[in-house]
Amino acid sequence: MSPALRIARKEAGELVLGLRGQLWLAVTTAVLSGFSLLLVGSQELSLLDNAQVVYDMAGLITALGALLAVIAGIDAIGGERERGSLLPLLLAPVPRGSILVGKLGGPVAAWAVMLALAAPYFWAIGSTGQNLTSGMAALLALGTPVVLGFGFLGVALGAWMQSGRAALSVALTGLVLSASPLLLGPSLRQSAIGRMFDAVNPFSAALNCFDAVIIDSQGAVSQASHAVVTMVWLAVTAWAAAAAMRRLSR
Amino acid sequence: MGLIEIEHLQLSIDEVPVLRDVSLAVAPGEVLGLLGPNGAGKTTTIAAGLGLLRPEGGTVRLMGADPWTGGAVPRRRVGVLPDPNGFYDWMTAPDYLGFFADLHGVANDAAANERRMANVGLAPRRGQRIGTFSRGMRQRLGLARALIGDPLLLVLDEPTNGLDPRGRREIHDLLLDLAGQGVGILLCTHILDDAERLCGRVCVIDAGRTVVQGKLADLLLGRNSQRRFRLNLAGPLPGEGAAPGPAHVRILHQSSEYAIVDIDPHVTPAEAWRELFFLGWPIVTIAPEGGGLEALYLALTAGNTQVVRAAAAEPVP
Repeated sequence: MSPALRIARKEAGELVLGLRGQLWLAVTTAVLSGFSLLLVGSQELSLLDNAQVVYDMAGLITALGALLAVIAGIDAIGGERERGSLLPLLLAPVPRGSILVGKLGGPVAAWAVMLALAAPYFWAIGSTGQNLTSGMAALLALGTPVVLGFGFLGVALGAWMQSGRAALSVALTGLVLSASPLLLGPSLRQSAIGRMFDAVNPFSAALNCFDAVIIDSQGAVSQASHAVVTMVWLAVTAWAAAAAMRRLSR
Repeated sequence: MGLIEIEHLQLSIDEVPVLRDVSLAVAPGEVLGLLGPNGAGKTTTIAAGLGLLRPEGGTVRLMGADPWTGGAVPRRRVGVLPDPNGFYDWMTAPDYLGFFADLHGVANDAAANERRMANVGLAPRRGQRIGTFSRGMRQRLGLARALIGDPLLLVLDEPTNGLDPRGRREIHDLLLDLAGQGVGILLCTHILDDAERLCGRVCVIDAGRTVVQGKLADLLLGRNSQRRFRLNLAGPLPGEGAAPGPAHVRILHQSSEYAIVDIDPHVTPAEAWRELFFLGWPIVTIAPEGGGLEALYLALTAGNTQVVRAAAAEPVP
């Protein structure tokens, strides 16, 4: 097994077997359960169109996935540094690039676990409509680069900043700002500033794609511009993680 | 060729000079003690020596290669026990050692991992998660990890921290055995007893500079460290205040019970005692005062370095 794969497997193991990872997964499951219960149990929300419900769920899964990925990314470097377990890894006879790739496996594992956890909920609330398959496809295609980008940003911040808490604060602030389209009303997003923000915000790109594919039933090809934004985001954060990893000394 | 060779190393962190002129070298089969007060630059020296920090001046060679540009290759036969020494607490010890064995590209099977654990006295704990280990057990596990890959050079930062006396002795024996097999050991420690027991040579750094480096025995001899003595007396010294004092002995403190004296460096202790007996000093017993490595260390790291450096057998390279 290559060192990168071995480190990635360790990162995944830490998420699934470690106490911190299990706590985060429990919290994520509770949020998904609560949201799903609201959608099917609340009298007002149960009147929502099925496509709207699938759209909301896709957005929530992306947001929760990004949160989990960014925490996994920061913990992979910043958390390990604070626990003193990073230095032995940096001193192992493994190229820095392999350590980076392995560490990026943390957010990848977080997203994979998130998708596995969310799949039953997604199916439960969307199986009665026509948009479940397209919703899942859009979530995989555009949600994945957005979530992994946040995970890679977490790795970069964890490596760059000396304090894990400071890195977490910065990452969460960025995540809340990026995810603000979930919080802002449509009218604000239609303003000039809102449109400019949407044009460069990967989270907006994913949500606009979900909107077009799930609610408006548009084809996947028409979402190329949104896909480009998310892929650029992924590339930039991967580059930032690599740059921060190169200067990591302890 | 030394396993690790550092010459006139200079390095700043956040534009603050941390290392100004550090030199040291470890040869195969040798235990070099790296000593110095807190903040002297020991950890930074190790980090630069292992390629984690880029030197601003001087040269660093690890296994004959530049560790900064050489990537992972020079570290292939280097085992490191850093301080602080963290672990993946959710793993068991065999899993943990297996993980690092995979990274080193060496055998990762149950027998090999059990052997690694037994080597450092960890076998009875093999079923437990690392999170339940005591500090001493974690230290042993760190040492077991450092020994993966049959290192030619061991860099150990406080390896006996948290160990009980028996555990310390076992680790001492293990390290001496490894040195006997030709493994070079760079031992960074504050426990001077460890250094005295294990190290053939020491390198003392203070304020980012190598103050002295050489064979421990030569340094102790060269410093004439046994020149201060406590003389227990049967009564007051004869003719106090009237008769001239001894020519080759300086009295630092005196009472009717004892005296603390420094012997002139130009005479032997035997000549000094002869003079004192001739003068009628009622000496009952003689005991060295403040000698050994501790006195050497305290003198070296208190800015009083010139005498010692002049007396050291081996000049700083």
